[in-house]
Amino acid sequence: MERRTVLKALIAGAAAALAPNTVRAARFSSTLRYLRPPGALAEEDFLARCINCGQCGEVCPNRCIKYFGLENGLGSLDTPYIIPREKGCILCMKCGDVCPTGAIQPVAREAGAILDGVKMGHARVDESLCLSFQGKTCGVCYRACPLPDIAITVGRLEQPHVTDKCVGCGLCERSCIQMPQAIRVIPDRG
Amino acid sequence: MTGQRHKPFFLWRHLNKLRWVSLSIVFAMLVALPFLHLYQTYVAAHAYDLLSPPEARIYDVMEALTQPFVSDPAEDLDAVKGNTWSGTFWGLKLSDPLAALGQMAAGRTLYWPFLVTALIPVVLTALFGRFFCGWICPATFIYELNGNFASWLRWAGFKPGNRHFDKRIKYGVLALGVIGSAMTGSVVVAAVYPPAIIGREIYYVIALGGFGAGMVFFLATLGFDLLVARRGFCRYLCPGGALYALLGRYRVVRIRRIVENCNDCAKCNAICEFGLDPLGDGFGQECNNCSACIAVCPTDALTFTIRPTDIPAQGPGHLGWRYRREAEARVQGGQPAREDKAA
Repeated sequence: MERRTVLKALIAGAAAALAPNTVRAARFSSTLRYLRPPGALAEEDFLARCINCGQCGEVCPNRCIKYFGLENGLGSLDTPYIIPREKGCILCMKCGDVCPTGAIQPVAREAGAILDGVKMGHARVDESLCLSFQGKTCGVCYRACPLPDIAITVGRLEQPHVTDKCVGCGLCERSCIQMPQAIRVIPDRG
Repeated sequence: MTGQRHKPFFLWRHLNKLRWVSLSIVFAMLVALPFLHLYQTYVAAHAYDLLSPPEARIYDVMEALTQPFVSDPAEDLDAVKGNTWSGTFWGLKLSDPLAALGQMAAGRTLYWPFLVTALIPVVLTALFGRFFCGWICPATFIYELNGNFASWLRWAGFKPGNRHFDKRIKYGVLALGVIGSAMTGSVVVAAVYPPAIIGREIYYVIALGGFGAGMVFFLATLGFDLLVARRGFCRYLCPGGALYALLGRYRVVRIRRIVENCNDCAKCNAICEFGLDPLGDGFGQECNNCSACIAVCPTDALTFTIRPTDIPAQGPGHLGWRYRREAEARVQGGQPAREDKAA
């Protein structure tokens, strides 16, 4: 009888495997602005790989990795996320080393590897909110950036300009002294 | 009866205590790891002077506990991470076979670097059966304490539920979990698997200061065990237990009854958490080798053996009245006066 149950499961699993992918793709759009940990696969592959073991958060020295409840849908239950305004990623890359499933790919902790392997998002400056664009020299985001002059350059009055090398760690958004923040990371979850 | 009585190895009846030690250590580790993680983050931030008094207390205690073993807490304590669902021990990654199965279904691909992390548990299960359920599972720790609580309730006059269902339901839950993982494209079976839930939720409560949906689910299973069926979730619903039972169907190490020593007292059937029938030689794939029946047996009639299948039913125990009556009938050469049909 167990054998029959298992066979049924296999058949049903095969049926599910043949379901059109368009139905699945609709499930991976989200209205929440959150980042996946650095080195994470594109959202659909990430969800398929992640087994919700929680080791990425447990190894994060900055405690920036938190876990979804049901607010982002059942598929995201207990998967890791980062809200950059609460706490940015310091790009220590420990989560990729500890991840058993490769949902977060291991990336070496050096500028070249990080620039190649990490794409959490991209920072965008709102010039109407940014102090430096209002004539008050600030430059805090530039100083918070782990890749200064690569990901952010500053011009007159320390006005920040984000380059396309930005990996989206969120430390600039975390550090912005404006409320609401003048620089924020637009997630790139693939 | 006549002839030499085979005595089981004397330590077997103390294994149940060792099992409790094992369960306690696993659970204690799950509680300690989040605190160690907090300590690591405080160290990494060089923030001792900024800690609140409770945080400073965590720092001091964890520092005292780990100082003899580590020189650089922020790095060295990374050696042990995770939980029974998937964990890292000094570079060795181990995962629950259900995690491997659910991930295979969700991703519809075979990702070997992850699948090999489930290899050691699968081999151990093939040898020892559902041993994870009895010896390691952090949910078992709580469920068995919950069962003791139910005993106290019964003593106090309340009636905990003791309904019985079909043990095969859990294979359906396993199938549903795998299908659900394949359909949603994420490992949703982890959401209904108590040990995975416990591992996560302890971390959430200690390190993140709140609990998630899993805690509600787990409390519901505790209520189910208490009010509806003794050890009901593990017996009838657990998808991981189902997978372990299937993997351990032809386990090599199993418990058997020594019929010459048995007096049919049925304490083994009463103590068995999984509602099995040691008295009738009915262990099957469900037995988790917890050895509670060996510990409770008053006549040393249960022992471990090495064979891939159960011994077929051996009839009544030779120290019991039923066997004696049958023997007398045989001696007199006729049929027993009253054939007792009761099994």
